[in-house]
Amino acid sequence: MIRKLMLFMTMMIIVSACSSGSGTPYRIVYSMDTQQTTSEAVPDSSLQDQRYSVAIIPKGTEIDYFTVAAEGAQEAANDLDIDVMFEGPKTADVSGQIEVIDSMIQRHVDLIAVSANDPEALIPVLEKARQAGIKVISWDADADPQVRDFYVNMVDPETLGRHLMDTLANAMGEKGNFAILTGAISASNLSDWLKWIQVQHKAYYPEMNLVKVVATDDNLTKAGEVAKQLLAEHPELNGIIGNSSVGFLSAANAVKDAGKAGAVKVVGLSNPNFTRSYLNEGTVQMATLWSPKKLGYLTVVLANNLLNGVRPADGQDIPKVGKIRVVGDMVIMGEPLDFSKENVNQYDF
Amino acid sequence: MIFKRRTSFQFRHFRLSSKLIITYLLLTVVPLSLLGYISYAQYARSVEAQIGEYMPKILHQANEDIDKQIDELMRLPDLLFNSEQALSILRKETYAKRSEFNKDQYDMNSYLSRTYIRGNNANVIGVFILSNQRMFYSSKQQFKQADWQNTLSGYSEKPYSIGKAQFILPSEVDLQFDAEVPYLFIQKQIYDVDNRKVLGDMLIAVDLSFIDKIFHNFESSNRANLWLMSDAGEIIYHSDRSLIGTMDTEKDNYPLRSGSFRANHAGGAKLMSINTASISGWTLVHSIPLSELMQRTNLVRNVTILLFIAISVITSLIAVWISWSMTRPLKRLSGLMKTVEMGNFQVDLKVPHRDEIGMLARSFNSMVSTIRDLIQKNYQVELRQKEAELYALQSQINPHFLYNTLETIGMAVEEGETEAVVDMVTLLGRMFRFSVSNQSKWVTIAQEVQHAEDYLTIQKFRFEDRLAFRIDKKMTDSHFLQLFTPKFILQPVVENAIKHGLDVRRKMEVCLSVSEEFDARTGEPCIVFRVSDNGPGISSEKLFQLEEALKKDSFAPKSANFGLSNVNARIGMMLGNDYGIQLHSIEGIGTEVLIRIPLNERSD
Repeated sequence: MIRKLMLFMTMMIIVSACSSGSGTPYRIVYSMDTQQTTSEAVPDSSLQDQRYSVAIIPKGTEIDYFTVAAEGAQEAANDLDIDVMFEGPKTADVSGQIEVIDSMIQRHVDLIAVSANDPEALIPVLEKARQAGIKVISWDADADPQVRDFYVNMVDPETLGRHLMDTLANAMGEKGNFAILTGAISASNLSDWLKWIQVQHKAYYPEMNLVKVVATDDNLTKAGEVAKQLLAEHPELNGIIGNSSVGFLSAANAVKDAGKAGAVKVVGLSNPNFTRSYLNEGTVQMATLWSPKKLGYLTVVLANNLLNGVRPADGQDIPKVGKIRVVGDMVIMGEPLDFSKENVNQYDF
Repeated sequence: MIFKRRTSFQFRHFRLSSKLIITYLLLTVVPLSLLGYISYAQYARSVEAQIGEYMPKILHQANEDIDKQIDELMRLPDLLFNSEQALSILRKETYAKRSEFNKDQYDMNSYLSRTYIRGNNANVIGVFILSNQRMFYSSKQQFKQADWQNTLSGYSEKPYSIGKAQFILPSEVDLQFDAEVPYLFIQKQIYDVDNRKVLGDMLIAVDLSFIDKIFHNFESSNRANLWLMSDAGEIIYHSDRSLIGTMDTEKDNYPLRSGSFRANHAGGAKLMSINTASISGWTLVHSIPLSELMQRTNLVRNVTILLFIAISVITSLIAVWISWSMTRPLKRLSGLMKTVEMGNFQVDLKVPHRDEIGMLARSFNSMVSTIRDLIQKNYQVELRQKEAELYALQSQINPHFLYNTLETIGMAVEEGETEAVVDMVTLLGRMFRFSVSNQSKWVTIAQEVQHAEDYLTIQKFRFEDRLAFRIDKKMTDSHFLQLFTPKFILQPVVENAIKHGLDVRRKMEVCLSVSEEFDARTGEPCIVFRVSDNGPGISSEKLFQLEEALKKDSFAPKSANFGLSNVNARIGMMLGNDYGIQLHSIEGIGTEVLIRIPLNERSD
């Protein structure tokens, strides 16, 4: 009796011990899986169902620099599959910018990226945009830091300013008179560069003399006039720095027209496509810039990231752009590029 | 219920040895085997759990190492953008002269060699750039295939994710290096970020042996497998190299992405540990047969089994021995009981133990010996009684006594003493009646004294003046008439006294007294018969010999003292050794024989 009971119990134990092994092919022993699985990504993708619309506002749509930048922005729009509106005043005009931004607010875009002609003047309208729930960033030329999330800068202003001064000093043999043709005085990026040109000048080049700083307001007609006037008024001039692409090109034209090619050295900011002929004929010695396409592209990518809740980070590797630097709330795209007679053919913008 | 009762009934009737052995087996073998099985299973499970918990962590670590390496490798293409010269060569589209192209190719190849092949990362086997119908490359090893350039060009047509490096896994590559090292390609589009143009493709062949180094950290046996596979289940690296490039078809069925599980396949159960890297999405799998894991526990298991067997054997032997040592004496006991039953009391059950069995044996022995002694004693008593009776009878119908008495009667007849003749015949008849009448061993004191008196009276007729006798009764009549005494104890003593006395003396006197006295030895009252004479007495040496003979209780049937020792022995047997005959004698003065018996109210 007892023996049979014991046998039965033993059998039961053995059977129960064996049965766990045969049912399913896998039996979990230990799991390290956490809730990190796909479940949390779902709401994000559903949000993305509606396409983001991003407004990129340049200083002026007719400025070549910005038309090139627009190409990059469009490329990014295609890559990221979002809507990008590249609209602005024809020329660098702050009131025109305000109008365009207003209309963008009406159209309920998700984000406005502005290259500010006048940071002060844009404060109210950008404030208004933010209150409408639109994110605001600045690119190319900074807006007031109070009314934007971050600023997509092309280069470090100090690096660029000092480099422009060095380039001119190299061309002039570190002595002589020079002038600066800048864009609008109100544009913050230009004034930053201007500041650093002067810092570098004072620090290293005592035999060089800054004759005048002339504003062109990035208006081609006005620029041509002031450049001519500058050459006429200052025959002793040995060099000109074009602190904006408009200033650079008008200076080159004026020098060429005055037959002073080579005598008056011209350096400054300009894209290779417009500079190529001047470089080849020797009118200008060196053009410095970055890729405006790349800037447009980067601006759109960062705008898209921000809409997805990702702020730019220092050292972040942006596909098709490279690593970016972030200093405070300023993004720095990279280092300036120098275009000379030798390498200008490599570039296509 | 019927079943239960029947089985319990059966068990109850098992042999004791079977019961003991079954009980021992149940108490030792069953719990021992259960304990052994459970502890082994538990141990095995804990080993499995331990490895199962430990392995994914190691894999996680290894995966992080691999991730780190992969991340480093993924950055390799970016080095290209550090060189303006390299970029300017790549940006060129047309060449005016062949020598220009050759120079560019030379410059580019040496740049690649400087930067990649002799660079920091030792895992790079070769680097290949396809740009604008041109091929720049630098490689540590040559491809086996002759048309490798065309094959490589084919890979550049693959679709890309934007601006990201990606892998071309071994399965997608038809090219092999001379050394047949496992490798994969990292492919990246060369994108001119300034001009926003695709400049070409870069393919970096990476030796996967670095995974080997990471794998080496695993203290694994040869039967364990370790492999790395892509998200799709393609095996990128396997400890069995022949499997590199194949698919793990089971991957989607694995129950988790990170952890351990037991897989029951046809080839035996395996413990599989798995970890999926967060960056590359690659999955690292470690698979080891459970039997391999258990190999370390096999020693424990074998020792357990051996111990189990040894203990089982020992306990079984002990069980058998104990049951045997218990039942063997019992069997012998029952055998001996049968012998005793047959009437043989000369048995001895020898059990050296002091346990219950030994006690039983000793009890049995003492019982048998007691029975034997009792039989012996009763037999002896009966025998002596019969002897005494026979003796008494003999002495009663003693031819001498009868002859002498009849002669005395004859003489009396001649002398005409009719009264004396009548008296003697009456006495003789009464004596015979006393002897034959009662079958009992017991008679009242009065009867016994009467018989002695009859005898003395007859002798008085014969010896006339030579013999004088006196009988004193110093006790109450009721006791005298009611108390019992063994039959025929006085006559032999009296006869003895007369015989010895008249042999030597001319005249003698015999005195018989019956008294009730206090016995100092037993502390109780007793009856004392005193037969005293004034015969020759007994010398002290003879007296000592007589006393010794009485004490020894020996029978010397034909000796002169047979009468005394017979009486003494009978009293001892019937009433105990506290009672019996005492002799007092002084040579030349006389002898006194004391017969002491207890107060007997019953004649049984």
